[in-house]
Amino acid sequence: MLTCHQVAEEATEYMEGTAPPPRRLGVWAHLRLCPNCREYLRQLGRTIGLARQALAPPPPAEVEDQLAAIFATQGRPGAAE
Amino acid sequence: MRRNQGGIGVAPQGSYQAGAEEAALVARLRAGDQAAFRQLVRARHGRLLRLAGAFCRSRASAEEVVQETWLAVITGLHGFSGEAPLAAWINGILVNKAKTRAVRDGRMVNFSDLAREEGEGDAFEPERFLPDGHWAEQHRPWDALTPEREAGDRELLAGVGEALEKLPPAQRAVVLLRDVEGLDSAAICATLGISEANLRVLLHRARTKLRDAADRLVRG
Ligand SMILES: [Zn+2]
Repeated sequence: MLTCHQVAEEATEYMEGTAPPPRRLGVWAHLRLCPNCREYLRQLGRTIGLARQALAPPPPAEVEDQLAAIFATQGRPGAAE
Repeated sequence: MRRNQGGIGVAPQGSYQAGAEEAALVARLRAGDQAAFRQLVRARHGRLLRLAGAFCRSRASAEEVVQETWLAVITGLHGFSGEAPLAAWINGILVNKAKTRAVRDGRMVNFSDLAREEGEGDAFEPERFLPDGHWAEQHRPWDALTPEREAGDRELLAGVGEALEKLPPAQRAVVLLRDVEGLDSAAICATLGISEANLRVLLHRARTKLRDAADRLVRG
């Protein structure tokens, strides 16, 4: 039986499906019996979702204006609207 | 990043088909629509800067790389094939620019060396576990993390962004490319010049740290 520590170390490989079958089985068997590790892996999974949604600071207004000005001169196919 | 609103799901490269929302954005961009371009800049600029920061050693050079990327996007829009998501196309330009610049400046980050350094030692603090290998603490469920908060709690999501920036550079690069931008492992290994084993170690360490940061943020 794997320990919680071993399961925590295997968590990413388990979730990615890259662990070899015997190790995969070991983690699976542990998770069936250990709610604390199940919760930990659930949180790891939700963390990926949070990372995907993570916000970054918006560009400063002058950077946006400068890029928009370049787009106005170069980003047009030539035809006016 | 929202894509493929048409119910097709995230298609693998080669069979990607843009959802209606993205197709409309691309059409407006090609027509020279200023509002559409500003919308794109607002949506992507910060993420590009964050990604560039994983490759560049200074904030100033990351900013220049992002600027060069936007110029390439503006001039390249008409050649954009739509075979990949717009965001992925822009990210690809950025990564190429960042690498080219780092090589030119003689400051290419060697991710393989970093992977070795960052993979040393234990991923977990020893006090997280009892001597018999059990967790020292119970993980309390993230009941406070409702789907609404997950999608729209700006303070929480900005906090996760800050946690991303605090990761060591190779862990940051891997988690940004994989979990944030959705590249596959082979593409990331090729881009960073690391092995699959390196990638897994870095991803594990990055996610472990992010989960701990998220745990604090979720509970406020
Ligand atoms: Zn356990």
